[in-house]
Amino acid sequence: MLSRIADSLFWLGRYIERAEDTARILDVNYHMLLEQSQDSYHLRWEPLIVMAGEENLFRRLYSEVNAENVFEFLAFRPDNPSSIVQCIAKARENARTIRDCISREMWEDINGLYHMVGRFNPRDEIVAGPHRFCDKIKFGAHRFHGVTDATLPHDEGWQFLRIGWSLERAEMTSRLVDVQYQNLLDELPTTGTPDNHQWMAVLRSVGAVEAYHRQYHSSIEPEKVAGMLILHPQHPRSIRFSTTEVQAGLRAISGSERGSYANEAERLAGKVGERLSYDTIEEIFQQGLHSYLKGLSDMFGSIGSDIARNYFYYAVVA
Amino acid sequence: MEAARPHATIPSLFAGYDVGNFYDEMFSRPGEPRRPYAKVFQRLASMAPEQFEERRKLADLSFLIQGITFTVYNDGRGTERLFPVDLIPRIVPNSEWRQIDRGLAQRVRALNLFLQDVYGKQCILKDGRISRSLIYSCPHFHREMVGVEVPRGIFTHVCGIDLVRDSKTGEFCVLEDNVRTPSGISYVLENRLVMTRILPDAFHASEVLPVDHYPAELSRILRSLSPRAEDNAQVVLLSPGIYNSAYFEHSFLARQMGIELVEGRDLIVDGGIVFMKTIRGPQRVDVIYRRIDDEFLDPLAFRPDSLLGVPGLMSAYRSGNVALANAVGNGVADDKAIYAYVPEFIRYYLGEEPILSTVQTYVCAKPGDLTYVLANLSKLVVKAVGESGGYGMLMGPTADRKTIEQFRSLIAQNPRNYIAQPVIPLSRVPSYDVPSRRLAGRHVDLRPYCLFDGEKVVIVPGGLTRVALQRGSLVVNSSQGGGSKDTWVLRGEG
Repeated sequence: MLSRIADSLFWLGRYIERAEDTARILDVNYHMLLEQSQDSYHLRWEPLIVMAGEENLFRRLYSEVNAENVFEFLAFRPDNPSSIVQCIAKARENARTIRDCISREMWEDINGLYHMVGRFNPRDEIVAGPHRFCDKIKFGAHRFHGVTDATLPHDEGWQFLRIGWSLERAEMTSRLVDVQYQNLLDELPTTGTPDNHQWMAVLRSVGAVEAYHRQYHSSIEPEKVAGMLILHPQHPRSIRFSTTEVQAGLRAISGSERGSYANEAERLAGKVGERLSYDTIEEIFQQGLHSYLKGLSDMFGSIGSDIARNYFYYAVVA
Repeated sequence: MEAARPHATIPSLFAGYDVGNFYDEMFSRPGEPRRPYAKVFQRLASMAPEQFEERRKLADLSFLIQGITFTVYNDGRGTERLFPVDLIPRIVPNSEWRQIDRGLAQRVRALNLFLQDVYGKQCILKDGRISRSLIYSCPHFHREMVGVEVPRGIFTHVCGIDLVRDSKTGEFCVLEDNVRTPSGISYVLENRLVMTRILPDAFHASEVLPVDHYPAELSRILRSLSPRAEDNAQVVLLSPGIYNSAYFEHSFLARQMGIELVEGRDLIVDGGIVFMKTIRGPQRVDVIYRRIDDEFLDPLAFRPDSLLGVPGLMSAYRSGNVALANAVGNGVADDKAIYAYVPEFIRYYLGEEPILSTVQTYVCAKPGDLTYVLANLSKLVVKAVGESGGYGMLMGPTADRKTIEQFRSLIAQNPRNYIAQPVIPLSRVPSYDVPSRRLAGRHVDLRPYCLFDGEKVVIVPGGLTRVALQRGSLVVNSSQGGGSKDTWVLRGEG
């Protein structure tokens, strides 16, 4: 497989996942905040900008942090490289350069999604609220996963896609937990009680409310929620699960056995995987959730660049 | 006020259809369809305009979703636009096609022999059948190719030869040759797919010859060029990338042939061997079906500023370590001034009389022709010899004075760069006019795609019928607002 193709598949996976995750977070946050007091309303939009990693850009473009601005910024702004429309456009652009390597169904699906997104009028959507738009993105991404799974041979190319979206998901989930938790801690002195709504929203944004209730049969407790999102072995959006996926994909490509590694990316993924398998949420809190998650985020960043070094880039031959 | 008619008939798609003063491919006389079109005419005549409009929208949507688009550059943004497909097929009866097929095969063989000769022994120059100065002044004549032995002696692996039917004679003639990197075959295959869904009954009843073996034929020829054993030949398609207007076609063909689609940056040359960069390290490449112009292939040999090409590719090609299709330097054969000499090539190399006629061509490099052209600009079509895609053209009869004067000075400054031809009244085929929702006659040409394997010429029946969708326009190029039609070559006479 051409390195360029593998590179594009990897990023196609990442962009689709980033669009979906952004849509999920936007939608849930918006609806949860409708139940909130006006005071905390503004405060709660900050974390989303932080999560997207685009605080500076946001401040350059807007004077106020409010629902409309954040929605527009994260969903529609063409000058925000992480906005949903930009992610979809880049996913489609990546797909376009590798049309000959993906199935016709996949191409038509992502191309259709791109044209569908283009038909939304940001003005109308901002008035209507993010649900309609975000729902389309979410299901668009699901459909793409389904079409891919059902029509693309599960060979190396598929593995690069899988690694791309799993790595992105692991990173987005760790950022989500980190940012929400920080934000809550900042607030604790004034409100005094843990904010269940906020955590409920976090669970809902990764579609894990039912799973939570099945597992814990209890009210929403921040530590359990964090534990579930970080450590759950089977929930498809937990960091642990996503890491296992990355690891499995890497191993399928290199053919290395369980317990061994063929390159730096595999070594790191294995290391993170092990840690997530044996750490408990209590230990994580003792160590400090933020520094733990920050550590994971950095590792995911390194895995990404090691994959690129190992499979995508060729040193320039003079 | 007009009174309501008691028995209003269904308005027909053909209401108000005017065959005009041109050869109409569908009608021999108003209301009288030619035999090959009989079934399509029946079907269309029974169809309500609304029903047709519905099917047309369906086809457009299907093209958009599939991303069958081309890119236009002159609007500054590189917008993707649909290449409009007109749903009325262009039909050629079998006997007529057989004649075209023989004529094209003859022409392709002669062009290939000419290229072998002009980059080899140069007999035709020594015999004085064509002047050296005309050859050497051709911008696409590449000295780098002189003495190069191309694999299996094939230069013209893929040719797109443009034919038109002259309304005056009712006969097909050759308008120009495209032997560098002709595009459009993907539209032939996609149009066919759409047509079988849109007009299945008429298609079935007409008994149309299939076209979908093209990728397999091309693949067979490409494999046969490999310097290594054919079984493990690594064949790739080299594309300039997604910003090229024909990118859709590049990916389409790569997919259909099951070969890798590469860009220049995917290839490296090491020790005279071409490799592609894969996730498992460098992998040798044997055959490159390249859709990049000569000038951009290799910055070491041609344009040093080219980022699309592969440094060292030409030397690998010259050493015979990699095959290129089409060969480098083919532009000397489809130069529009050389076109005038192709009938002579056929006589010289094959000892045959040309089967297809050509258009009277004034070569401005000849002083006598130049004088005539400058005196008759308003009656002629002037073309720049090295351009394609409808660029660098003057349509004398419809041009304004200023444009004519511009061309006059351009031609005077560089006569070698121009040729002129009389305006050919192209035949017309009924085509859907979107604003009026009725059929109207529109001018067409026909570009069949010819594959040459060194022995025989394989031509998929039909080719791309391009149609000038603007009323009265004679320019069919997609970059100039043209569309296309599915071309049906019938199993019989209809």
